[in-house]
Amino acid sequence: MTAPRPKAGASGFDQLFPGETEKGLRVKTGIVELDEMLRGGFMPGDAVMLAGSAGMGKTTLALEYLVNGVSMGEPGIYVTFEELPDQIYRDAKNFGWDLRRLEEEDRFRLICTSPSLILESGEDSLLDDALRDIQPRRLVIDSLSHLELFVKNDDMRMEAYRVIRYLKTRGVSSMLLWESTQISGGSFSVTDVGLSFLVDCIIALKPVEIESSMRKALVVLKMRGSNHDKRLREYDITSHGIEVSAPFTNYEGLMTGSPRRSVTEEAANNWAMAFAKNKQKHS
Amino acid sequence: MSSSEILSALLASEVRGDLLILFHKNPGLIDTVDGIARRIVRTTIAVVSDVRELLQLGVLRQKRIGASDVVFLDRAKDRELLESVANHLKTVRMGGEK
Repeated sequence: MTAPRPKAGASGFDQLFPGETEKGLRVKTGIVELDEMLRGGFMPGDAVMLAGSAGMGKTTLALEYLVNGVSMGEPGIYVTFEELPDQIYRDAKNFGWDLRRLEEEDRFRLICTSPSLILESGEDSLLDDALRDIQPRRLVIDSLSHLELFVKNDDMRMEAYRVIRYLKTRGVSSMLLWESTQISGGSFSVTDVGLSFLVDCIIALKPVEIESSMRKALVVLKMRGSNHDKRLREYDITSHGIEVSAPFTNYEGLMTGSPRRSVTEEAANNWAMAFAKNKQKHS
Repeated sequence: MSSSEILSALLASEVRGDLLILFHKNPGLIDTVDGIARRIVRTTIAVVSDVRELLQLGVLRQKRIGASDVVFLDRAKDRELLESVANHLKTVRMGGEK
């Protein structure tokens, strides 16, 4: 009996797990509001870029995605070039996530290495052992921006493509963190090196100044093969992780970082004030 | 190798102690000997013989990735050695109490 031929253009995941996408399975982040924005979660096997500047909670969101995955029976790997893992274990514990226990149970791995080693090509990959040991369904790379330090700008796309393909062909959904200094303007240019088209989904985290205070906004910029919420939503980093709240409704120009009240809101307020003044005058 | 010999081998030098602390705090660390030396603020020459000893003990494992040799903690072997050392220390303590 011969195996059914994969459809033309089918992703690695579709070839490994035929029919799962059609059945409507999604890779849930476990953050309810974010899953709603993604119409249930990421598409299985997709490469997701999580872009944002420092301090926006990229690491927290990525860890929460993995920890929630573990509780849904999907082991995960966190690859960091950023810090020594002991800092990540400590920070995660502050959110109530015991990564060491998950490692002992072989449901999670935290790998700390140098970007240059991930780029090494040969028969063995750095990730082979961990992939074999815990058979992850999710993997986070923190961050692609570190890889950029080790390759020429022209080669960055090829190297990122190689990493993404490696994970896709193994049926692993990946989340790639990207340190983005600026996400603004109509072009929504997330990276300077043209990585946006390589990934299937882009989530941008952005600081916005509203009434002299800094607030955090999250938006799904792109989601290949699925509808998604296009609105910017406010979020916060709480003691138990990322909390996404309602969309910003009364502001325009949030992507510029300096939003203004929307015209309709302002007009409504002006009318209300004029009405109140007029009422005072005649009373 | 007896438990007391393992214990002596693990604690034979300051560098070896630093390496064990580094890998126990960061069990997912995978790096070249150069990279590991940098992480404990030492030179490659200063750590290479101790890394070799830990490889021989089986606490660390080595693997070729492309053009680089990387070392990492063998979690299973490490757990086994720690259990053996802990049992040994318990026996010694009980013997002392008698």
